[in-house]
Amino acid sequence: MSSSKTPRTQFNKEDARLAITCVAGGLLLAMMTGPAGSAAAPLDSAKGALFSSHVWGFLVFGIVIAAYSVYRRKVRNGEWVSRRETPRRSLKVMWSDWLGSMPLAGWIALMVVAAIIAVLVADYTGPYAPNKLSFSQFGSQFANTRTYGYIVFLLWIVNSVRLRRSASARHGVLPSFAKTPAFRIGASAVGGFLFALCADPWLPERFSFAYFTTSGTSTHAFLAHLPTWLWTGVGALIGLRAVLAERKKSTQNNRLRPRQFNVTANTRFALYGVGLFAAFEAPKYLSPFWQEAIFQQIGIFCFLAIGLNIVVGFAGLLDLGYVAFYALGAYVNAYFSGALPIRPPFTLNPFYSIPIAIVVCMLAGVLLGLPTLRLRGDYLAIVTLGFGEIIYVLANNLQNLTGGANGSGLISSFSMNVPGIHFALNGQALSQDLDFYYLLLAFMIPILLLFTSLNNSKVGRSWAAIREDEVAAASLGINGLKYKVMAFAIGASTSGVAGVLSSVKAGILFPSNFALQVSITVLVLVIFGGMGSITGVLIGSAVIGWLLQYLLFHSFIDYQDADKYMYIGAMLILAMIFRPQGLWPAKRREREFHDAEAGLGTADAMGAAVEGPLHD
Amino acid sequence: MSSYIATGIFAGLIYSMVALGYTLVYGVLRLINFAHSEVLMSGAFAGYFFLHYFMTSNSESTTARIFLFLGALVASGVAGAVVATIVERFAYRPLRRRNAPKLTYLISAIGASYFLLNFAGKEFGRNPLTPPQVISGGLSWSVLGTQISLFDLVLLAVTLILFFFVNFLVNKSKIGRSIRAVAQDPETATLMGVNVNSTIAQTFAIGGFMGGIAGLFVGLSSVVDYNMGFTPALLAFTAAVLGGIGNIRGAMVGGVVLGVCMYVPIYWIGQPYYEPVIGFSILVLVLLVRPTGLFGESLGRSA
Repeated sequence: MSSSKTPRTQFNKEDARLAITCVAGGLLLAMMTGPAGSAAAPLDSAKGALFSSHVWGFLVFGIVIAAYSVYRRKVRNGEWVSRRETPRRSLKVMWSDWLGSMPLAGWIALMVVAAIIAVLVADYTGPYAPNKLSFSQFGSQFANTRTYGYIVFLLWIVNSVRLRRSASARHGVLPSFAKTPAFRIGASAVGGFLFALCADPWLPERFSFAYFTTSGTSTHAFLAHLPTWLWTGVGALIGLRAVLAERKKSTQNNRLRPRQFNVTANTRFALYGVGLFAAFEAPKYLSPFWQEAIFQQIGIFCFLAIGLNIVVGFAGLLDLGYVAFYALGAYVNAYFSGALPIRPPFTLNPFYSIPIAIVVCMLAGVLLGLPTLRLRGDYLAIVTLGFGEIIYVLANNLQNLTGGANGSGLISSFSMNVPGIHFALNGQALSQDLDFYYLLLAFMIPILLLFTSLNNSKVGRSWAAIREDEVAAASLGINGLKYKVMAFAIGASTSGVAGVLSSVKAGILFPSNFALQVSITVLVLVIFGGMGSITGVLIGSAVIGWLLQYLLFHSFIDYQDADKYMYIGAMLILAMIFRPQGLWPAKRREREFHDAEAGLGTADAMGAAVEGPLHD
Repeated sequence: MSSYIATGIFAGLIYSMVALGYTLVYGVLRLINFAHSEVLMSGAFAGYFFLHYFMTSNSESTTARIFLFLGALVASGVAGAVVATIVERFAYRPLRRRNAPKLTYLISAIGASYFLLNFAGKEFGRNPLTPPQVISGGLSWSVLGTQISLFDLVLLAVTLILFFFVNFLVNKSKIGRSIRAVAQDPETATLMGVNVNSTIAQTFAIGGFMGGIAGLFVGLSSVVDYNMGFTPALLAFTAAVLGGIGNIRGAMVGGVVLGVCMYVPIYWIGQPYYEPVIGFSILVLVLLVRPTGLFGESLGRSA
């Protein structure tokens, strides 16, 4: 299609569809996350829903996303090209020209707009209160400290843009004070501090001025909060990096360039450090509800997602019976703690049943994978789907083996009694929720390191080769079947370890904990974060895990817990249509998806592993 | 024993109807349609609501029952076809247009299946519903030492009629010719003037029609539930693989063979809930020994 012939303003059916999807998505989000409303103005009535700032906020969000995606689509399809410059560039130039020539009055107007947006954002993301969503409650946002946090934050951003766009900055001279390293680091630290004001963990007390100043208990004072200092530290780090980058740049050439956000190895290392620190420290400040949820509802699912990422992300296979191995691990542990009707020859501490669970799940994975993975990849999907259902049926019906639907007996918990370390955990004690979380971290961190290095090793490269082009990989001597089975078995054993951990915390096993839903939920965690990227999967599963728990008590009247699976299904379709690589994809995986769509390679391992009668 | 074989045959007829949907879609797209279980479920719900609203206490006469049953048949078939087409439209076509990798189709189909499953659970409730018995269970005949009810005979008749109809449709009609052309080579079919998108939608609709009617029979023989589709669909897939996926006659025979193979062991085990376990073992066994199935793959392209 010749670009000059197409009118620039053409808005075709495809664009309309995309835009409607985005706006509807915004509305859906609003409905999913909206609070329950009050008896006077219930949110499920049209009036109640339409006249709440919350719904409006999400609508605006949807419209912005819609406009952006239509724009992106137009640019990508080459429909919006004017003579030489792409519209993206011309828009950028126009924008910067406009900003550069804007008088002070314009900047002040922009700041007023920013302040209004800040108040809107504050209102819209603000604390849950049944009567918050009517516009009549809007003014009360000014009684909250975080509103001012957002205002200052946005004003700060506008002012930074103003400084950068000023005529002197264009010629390489920033106002002198902005160049001093101390000022930059300090300013960034203040920015981080303000961000903490907006975003630190949710506490009802946090939103009053009293909270900001009281010196009472540590949970009630802003300055005593670890996240406050953490965010301040992150801000300072960003500032430091900016200063260093500026130094480096000024030695190379003197021209000031617009800074790009490019994560260097050092920064990434620092971010991992901050993440680890946050993972260790932040849970201490959570409410008891979340302290329980971060183990059983979020942590275990992160663990499962990391394992499934090996199968779906690294090897490009689809495993829909992932929960079966989770159940196997859990039941192996139950067996060896003597909790099942069938008695073991000797009982074991869960620490020792972990290796057994790994071996059992790996064997099951190999036994299931070997016959199936010789064939097309989609057979694996349906065979694993069946396997998950079989394990569920067996757990439910083998009364004298698993205890059936009434559940198993009580499973013994982790304990350690070696010189120097003595502890015994109790899964049912509320006070020990955090201990289980730290135990999970102790298992998770080595596994993360192991999987990262596995992905960077020969094995990981073989997986990538099989994903991208199986025939070419075979011609290089890579045994496709071997690596596929390997990925499948590693995923299975990870799931088994998660099963052991979870079974100890749960105490009693019910077959209903191992229904198909778990497999699909874990699949969504992997897809949402970005298959093939360990960081992405971790972030994704933490976000979705949080969202699913959050929805339990922050959602529409009509929302029941089982409805989450409906949204999960819709999310899978939408993700596959709009962003199959996930939100934080691995670079290589993202490129594979683009290449596969252009007809290069496959981006999955769905072909037959060996030249069999089924290969087409 | 003979009653178990008979049960197997009649259960197998339902599986073969569902398997036909898998096979047809597999033939044109080379993909397993994971959302087919929900096609079955929606057919059952449509039949249930039709009977629920139209079958009153004064519709006891035989003629009224025949018309009610035919109405329910059409309602569930159409519902199945509509749901299958919707799935094709929203979960497959956007990906096909983009030439997406195969993995994404499977994930999007499982998402569609999950969405529909839980949507039905939300809309129609999560408790099993018992449909009114439109085919009275009183009548039965003794054949070779086993009781065959009127329900079984109706099932047999409907399956045979639909099977011959679909066989005719695919092998003799114009729609069938385009389906076979797309199965053989989509690009060449496009060049020959076949509208590939609408052909694929038609294939889904035909498979969905059969699936919906199978759903009605599953619902009538037990209960209508939002997650009723899962196990029959898994077994039907086994039937499709057993007969040779992509092969219409294979699906038909595969379903019946699977039914018999599944119910004969239950005669010895004595517990019917092991049905999916046996079916699954058969699936793994078939994949291990003869992955091309009894009749091999066909529908246009030879494997």
